[in-house]
Amino acid sequence: MMFTTQMTQLFAVVLAGDKDRVTEALLREGVMQFIHTSEHTTTQSPNLNALEPRISKGEIADLRKRVEGFLHTIGIVPSTLEETDLSQRKAVDLKKEGQLLDTIEGERGSIRERQRILQQEILRMEDIQRQVNLYGIGLYNVNLSNRNSILSIQTGKLQAGLAEQLTAELKGLPALNIDLGLDGDESHHLVITMKRDRDKISRILDGLRWSQVEVTPEMLSMKKDLFGELATKIEGLSDEQKKLQKQVDGLVEQEADHLQELWTDLRLEELCQSIQDHFQSSSHTIIFAGWLPAEKKAPLQKAIAEASENRCYLEWAEAGSEDMIGSEIPVRLRNPKALAPFQMLVSNFGIPKYGTIDPTPFVMPLYLAMFGLMFADVGQGLVLAILGALGVKALKGRSGKEGMLQLAWLIIWCGGSSMVFGALFGAYFGYSLFKPLWFDFHGIVAGHSAADAAINNVYDILLITIYFGIAVISLGLIFNWVNLARMKQWLTLVFDKGGLLGGWMYAGGIYTATFMVTHGYKEFPAGNILFMLLGLPALLLLLKEPLHLWRQADDGGEKENIAMLCMNILMEWIVELLEIFSGYLSNTLSFMRVAGLGIAHVCLMISFATLAGMTDSLVMKGVILILGNMLVIGLEGLSAGIQALRLNYYEFFTKFFHGTGRLYTPIALNSKLQS
Amino acid sequence: MAGPLSKYAFINAKLRGRISKILPEETFAQLSKAPSLDAALALLRDTAYSGLEGIYATTGDLKLAELELLKLEIGLYIEIGQHLHKNTQPILHALLTRFEIDNLKNAIRVYFDRRVRGRSVEASVHYILHETIIHSIPMDVVVNANGFDEIDGVCQHTPYAEIIRKYSHVVESEGSLFRLEVALDHYYYETLLGSIEHLSVRDKRIAQRLIGTEIDLQNISWIMRLKRYYDLPLETVLTTLIPGGYSLRRLQVEDLYRARNMTSVLQDFVKEQYPGLSTLLGTPTADSAARLRVLQQILEEIKRQEVQHILSGYPFTVGIILAYFFLKGDEMARVRTLLNAKHYGLTPELTGGAR
Repeated sequence: MMFTTQMTQLFAVVLAGDKDRVTEALLREGVMQFIHTSEHTTTQSPNLNALEPRISKGEIADLRKRVEGFLHTIGIVPSTLEETDLSQRKAVDLKKEGQLLDTIEGERGSIRERQRILQQEILRMEDIQRQVNLYGIGLYNVNLSNRNSILSIQTGKLQAGLAEQLTAELKGLPALNIDLGLDGDESHHLVITMKRDRDKISRILDGLRWSQVEVTPEMLSMKKDLFGELATKIEGLSDEQKKLQKQVDGLVEQEADHLQELWTDLRLEELCQSIQDHFQSSSHTIIFAGWLPAEKKAPLQKAIAEASENRCYLEWAEAGSEDMIGSEIPVRLRNPKALAPFQMLVSNFGIPKYGTIDPTPFVMPLYLAMFGLMFADVGQGLVLAILGALGVKALKGRSGKEGMLQLAWLIIWCGGSSMVFGALFGAYFGYSLFKPLWFDFHGIVAGHSAADAAINNVYDILLITIYFGIAVISLGLIFNWVNLARMKQWLTLVFDKGGLLGGWMYAGGIYTATFMVTHGYKEFPAGNILFMLLGLPALLLLLKEPLHLWRQADDGGEKENIAMLCMNILMEWIVELLEIFSGYLSNTLSFMRVAGLGIAHVCLMISFATLAGMTDSLVMKGVILILGNMLVIGLEGLSAGIQALRLNYYEFFTKFFHGTGRLYTPIALNSKLQS
Repeated sequence: MAGPLSKYAFINAKLRGRISKILPEETFAQLSKAPSLDAALALLRDTAYSGLEGIYATTGDLKLAELELLKLEIGLYIEIGQHLHKNTQPILHALLTRFEIDNLKNAIRVYFDRRVRGRSVEASVHYILHETIIHSIPMDVVVNANGFDEIDGVCQHTPYAEIIRKYSHVVESEGSLFRLEVALDHYYYETLLGSIEHLSVRDKRIAQRLIGTEIDLQNISWIMRLKRYYDLPLETVLTTLIPGGYSLRRLQVEDLYRARNMTSVLQDFVKEQYPGLSTLLGTPTADSAARLRVLQQILEEIKRQEVQHILSGYPFTVGIILAYFFLKGDEMARVRTLLNAKHYGLTPELTGGAR
């Protein structure tokens, strides 16, 4: 957990006939990050060729995306596969399935077209409805149409047998044809159209031998409300529209199970091909290579042996050994699930180099301690934790929201930390409801702390954070020494700013500063001690550049003018010393922000409590306190989170982090889809 | 007098937050590769455009979804307007004028097609916005009008009535809406430039640069089209162009219009003003339509560069407001283009990310 996982490399040869079974075994295990053996000269052979896929990977991906498209429309978002899917895997007939999708697509297209036409009809009715709304024409005053209206309203009669033809011919035009009833063999109608279609309507009505008549009151009483008539008609059309929409959904829904199975088979085929993309084949054999965690070696060995019925040759190479193919070793960070939010913080900064320290387990306590010191309050912490929990509930299982989910978990952790530190400092929504378990932060800032307490003024709080900073920086330095020793970079280990000499001077600086403070800022340590603490390492640092140049010269580097060389060495030394002194000083003092934000937090809460105390109304008091707490949780919470992150990244990580690694991404059943 | 910090601190924070929510390139790539329009709309489910899927699903009509997109854009301007300082309100008002003018132009086109050209307008008449943007104009009357008198009448209380009155005879005599539309566009840019007059020196400089660049691009785009589709004398072209451009000078306009190979003239302009983009002009293109597309892309890229210039500069200026509207407008235009591409079955190669 402390270091990146130890990796091992597999170079395998299997028989071509066992290729598919071995591929499935590799996918089932899901631990191999493959490497292209062809890219490495040692394994190149004129007799080895890349494997030709049975079906084009592009065709499979296209079909899979089409299936996804259909499934998305009914709210199904397929993303990962199960092991059982692999055992039930079926060969996909791309042509047949493509035709099925074409059929669904075609049917959907034709329903959509019917929907569109129906919608045009609705829009026409709505055009008329809008006019009726504007000018308020009812059937009682059909012949008194408003001169501003763009509607043309006519009442008349035609032969009953031609009524249906009238309806048919008006279709496609914005028109409302209301049947007012029969009078003998004549049908009476009210026809509402747009004035702009006057010519077309006249032609239609003339063709049907329409004659204009005044409508009798009896007929009118049958259909009193034109607006209601229109609304009913629009409603009827909308109902039809809904039915069509259901038909569209039904088209995909009835095939949903098949489409999901198809998606699974296509995805499996894609993954198998992704694995086989890394295979090299000769006439009878297949070779492949890749990285896996050392602890997974035995299960994978067993799986390959079983799949190939022991007809395989497996060669293992340890990371860093001379036998390994290529030079890049993938990095796997293995931390308990609970640390995932903190691993996210580390990964956002960079991936540690293979074999170096993975700082995740240390980031967790450091980040939370920093956050808690800056935002200590049981009540507000509880609110944060509840908000985080709600976030987790909302985001859990949602594809593509993994980062947000981890952020929600981080908020829960931060809330917990606030509660712990709140109890230590006795802060409950800004009030000291219970006795603090450690010291009275609130009392110190407000100026009424117990004088006999161990920590009883703001300077004590600042000092705590400086000690905390010294501890964090020292831990970073130790990590750096461990990393450099593991990478066998001895010269850097000794002479680097964050190396042994840098650490020596930092320790010397801390001793000197403490000595001065304890002696009332009037005395330095004795000269010989000061020399041993700061002078000697500074002088030793002078050797860094000459040693570096000497090594360069050994490697055949160019030789420089001796005067220039001395000048350069001196300048480099001075700059390096300045950097070390100013760097460590500012890094350490930077931690005072933790106290600063903690004090600001208490000050804000005191302000809101004072404001609330200025009113006699209980309601107003409540409002002020609630708003105050909300503001503090929002602003201070965010600020504390960012500052804690900044301190981790810039004061801690920069001391030891060698972030040039490439994350270990094996091909597995749960591999992310590539767009 | 309010300082830049009090004027823009809030809106700057708000808009920067919103800018971070603009759809990423990845989404456009996915939209471009979506196998169907339904699938593309499903991809927009968790975005600000989630409503479009519902509209298409219930109507089967993409144009209605596009109309909704337009309403969203107008709504955005109105909403942002509520948070602006009173000094910057006139700019927002001027920017909204564009939507009203475009809507009026669409309505007049429907009228013109129906009444003058005798064409069926059933395919376009339902996609006019009837809601009030700035002035209450009964669009029903405009599309159903019997003549320009009626249109002029219903626009009486608006600044467009005078323009319509002035150009209606030209439209009728020429049988084309071109001059009327150009006049309306001129009015829009005059209003926009007028709205920045009372801004502070820094704000005015920034606004002039961005608006001026847009005018340049509009003018170049018109020159390209006028040259390609009409055979107008240079003087007429010059009167068509919008004054107030930022870098395009009259001499360059003349060169551009007279040139046989517009690309090389434009190359000089781009080389001088935007050296980083001149390589794009060297992209070999098969035909003149493709060349036009490339030029269009370059013009858009120029505007994007101007916006990036604003976003990376001093934050408390009117620039952030203009930049946000550009980015949001660009996003909506891309969504619109990609949905249409899916509707008409265009391949991802043809649409790219609609950029």
